[in-house]
Amino acid sequence: MVNLGILKSGRIIFLLIVLALALVAIYPALWNEGVAIKGVVKDGPAYEAGIAQPKATSAPMTREVIKSINNIPIRNMEDYAAALKTLAVNTTAQLKTNKKTYRIVPQYKFDYVTLENESTYENRTTQLYNKTLNMSVNITEQVKVPKRVKVYDTSVVDLGLSVYNAPKSNIKMGLDLQGGTRALLEPAYELSQEQFDNLISVLEERINVYGIGDVSILPTKDLEGKQYIKIEIAGVTEEDVKNFIVSQGKFEAKIGNATVFAGGTDITYVCKSSECSGISYQEPCGKTADGKQWVCRFRFSITIKPEAAQRQAEATKNLDVISMGGQQYLSQKIDFYLDDVLVDSLNIGADLKGRAATDIEISGSGAGLTQAEAINDALNNMKRLQTILITGSLPVKLNIVQIDTISPTLGKEFTRSTLILAIVASIAVILVVFIKYREIRIVIPIALTLFAEIIIILGVAALIGWNIDLPSIAGIIVAVGTGVDDQIVITDETLRKEVAILSWKERFKRAFFIIMTAYATTVASLVPLLFAGAGMLKGFAITSIIGVSVGVFITRPAYAALIERILKEKRQ
Amino acid sequence: MSFKEKYVRFYDKHYKKLLFAAIVFFAIFAGFIVFNYIKTGELFQKGVSLKGGSIITVQLNKLVDVEKVQTELGKLTTEEFNVREFSSATGDKLGFIVETTLQNVSPVVSKIKSDYDVKTINVETVGPKLGQSFFRQMIVAILIAFILMALVVFVSFRVLLPSAYIILSAVVDILFSLAMVILLNVKISAAGIAAFLMLIGYSVDTDILLTTRVLKAREGATSERIYNAMSTGIVMTLAAMAATGIAYIATPSEVLKQIMMILFFGLMADLPSTWFQNAGLLKLYVEKKQKLAEEKAEEKEEEEENG
Repeated sequence: MVNLGILKSGRIIFLLIVLALALVAIYPALWNEGVAIKGVVKDGPAYEAGIAQPKATSAPMTREVIKSINNIPIRNMEDYAAALKTLAVNTTAQLKTNKKTYRIVPQYKFDYVTLENESTYENRTTQLYNKTLNMSVNITEQVKVPKRVKVYDTSVVDLGLSVYNAPKSNIKMGLDLQGGTRALLEPAYELSQEQFDNLISVLEERINVYGIGDVSILPTKDLEGKQYIKIEIAGVTEEDVKNFIVSQGKFEAKIGNATVFAGGTDITYVCKSSECSGISYQEPCGKTADGKQWVCRFRFSITIKPEAAQRQAEATKNLDVISMGGQQYLSQKIDFYLDDVLVDSLNIGADLKGRAATDIEISGSGAGLTQAEAINDALNNMKRLQTILITGSLPVKLNIVQIDTISPTLGKEFTRSTLILAIVASIAVILVVFIKYREIRIVIPIALTLFAEIIIILGVAALIGWNIDLPSIAGIIVAVGTGVDDQIVITDETLRKEVAILSWKERFKRAFFIIMTAYATTVASLVPLLFAGAGMLKGFAITSIIGVSVGVFITRPAYAALIERILKEKRQ
Repeated sequence: MSFKEKYVRFYDKHYKKLLFAAIVFFAIFAGFIVFNYIKTGELFQKGVSLKGGSIITVQLNKLVDVEKVQTELGKLTTEEFNVREFSSATGDKLGFIVETTLQNVSPVVSKIKSDYDVKTINVETVGPKLGQSFFRQMIVAILIAFILMALVVFVSFRVLLPSAYIILSAVVDILFSLAMVILLNVKISAAGIAAFLMLIGYSVDTDILLTTRVLKAREGATSERIYNAMSTGIVMTLAAMAATGIAYIATPSEVLKQIMMILFFGLMADLPSTWFQNAGLLKLYVEKKQKLAEEKAEEKEEEEENG
């Protein structure tokens, strides 16, 4: 048996502490059952029941896990799908998670249609010093956010949640192992840094609104200075990415079949100041019929070109006037279409009938759980609408230069194969080492160090939220391979016969010269990969670099201390 | 006589021949690469990720004959179109993979969906411009990696020739691996180039071990030191070859397969390139240096005698 005295070595204690921290970071829980919440659709039943939207960057094991619905236990996705089928619209259900129990009212499934490339402004105030006035003034800038609308699907009852099988550890798998879509987007022309940042924030907002959790948007530049945006979304199809996130929109306002005006071109002015835009005070905020929600209305005025006004006069002159809630409206609404899909309908004031009015008032609504939320939502909708009318569409078209979809089943197959691979490759390496030394007391420390290294690499990956994809696994294999190499160098330097000539210390010094130089060459050859090819092989480079660094600075010193003691003991 | 003594005696006698054989061996492969370049106009066959096109991975419920798929689907396009088998780690056939220079593959995908019993289908498309730009960048990455690696070696050893030998050995490993890949008709992807990059860092490990032992050790003759380094280094290389070889066989992922194959061949070449080529060159270097030192010492003695 190995003497417990080895535990006195600082290097070994350090390794054990790091190993323990890595295990905490990985948080393995193989027995974990249920489905974890990945995303909460805004305004959906789950959102209204008070379930919080998890942060995309949060560690997998901190996710809320659904354990049962109406006391039907949920162990996996199949259970969840079956439980959903037992639910009825507007019938309260009980949903139990690992954190608390919610009362939730199922609704028909709905999706948000993001108004393609339409964005709106939000005010952001910064303080600046004005020389002439000799005082600080507030400068209000406008920041873009996109507009979106609800579209219902009455064939599916839904909770407005996107879920996945509860994670069994904090290790995040890459798209190629769990399935999903990855796209590399290139702006149609080169953007300034400001435009580029703006584009990214619009894309982020679009995806947030879509209600899916595991998304990464990564703006990158390659070695040639080209701009790219890499988007990775788990569990989403290629079509979704194309339709929801990337495509550019066309906005039209129609009355009946006649197009009255289009976003951008036909509009000369949109009022955004408080005198002619804001929450409507004629129709104060109120609760909906079921008393659950607050609704607020907004209105603002716009000016359209005379040609567009003429078209409007033509379109409205034969319409009837109807009365609704004390207000006079025309019998047909003005419909807003985005890419030929109806996204919103607004009432037209009766006074506009047949008139070539260039000044038009537009109204709409917003809803929320509280009055404040409803006001906020209404104002947001207003801002979005205003921007659609001003800008028409985003200034730049995005080209998909690479798109990649991997089905979850293929991902599972890859994961399974990779596990087998890791085990078999480790056994092969250990076998080679055993054949060389034929000494179990050397092979066991090498094997233990090898596994400690894998755990620490995974721990670091879990800690920094790095997704383990196939190239990352290649990186781990390579790093562990180098690790074994170094242990062989240390063992041989320690075992060498000329004990009398060199002290232990000197021999370790030489072994570490070899190891450090080899380490430096490996890192040097990997660094260019961090930047080349729009970061597509970053995973390989990062895990390799983490792996060899962990090896050189943590596991190898501990191994050296261990083997020194073992061999000394043996000699005595 | 121990094996060590036998080897040292043998090596002392024949090291120049071994060195020569290694150089001729690698020169043949270098010549082959040049010949191939002149013949095809390309250094190697580029995969979809480097030249643009699509990869369709199809998992089937009911397996079909790959050659039949090739003839049936190949009719749809005049572009380059290759179908090959796709199997799992345990060797079970899962379906087929289509690699084509086509950009718009939706007609092919719908035909696959209608004609075969499809379980899953994955499409990866790379634009041609992106592919070319990837390729250029990967070449730049390799050059930068090489320069950085060379710098590290020079700074560590601070002697010109032995450092140059280490770098030469890395070049030779890459050339051999590249030649094997060309011979086996493999289309190299971006991941494959990453593997060549990795090889740069990996293949010099044994050379660093050898050079350190030969130049910095204080005991034994040069050949003995070479033998000692070799007994360590060969195990290192064999362990890595075992890991990469098994990983190659076990993974269904094309990305991993290619990385492992390139590493495996590079490691294979590393055995002669380190233990015959680099060791031989080092031995020549050390002997020349010793001779110079002896001559100097003699001169000094003579001077002393005369003075």
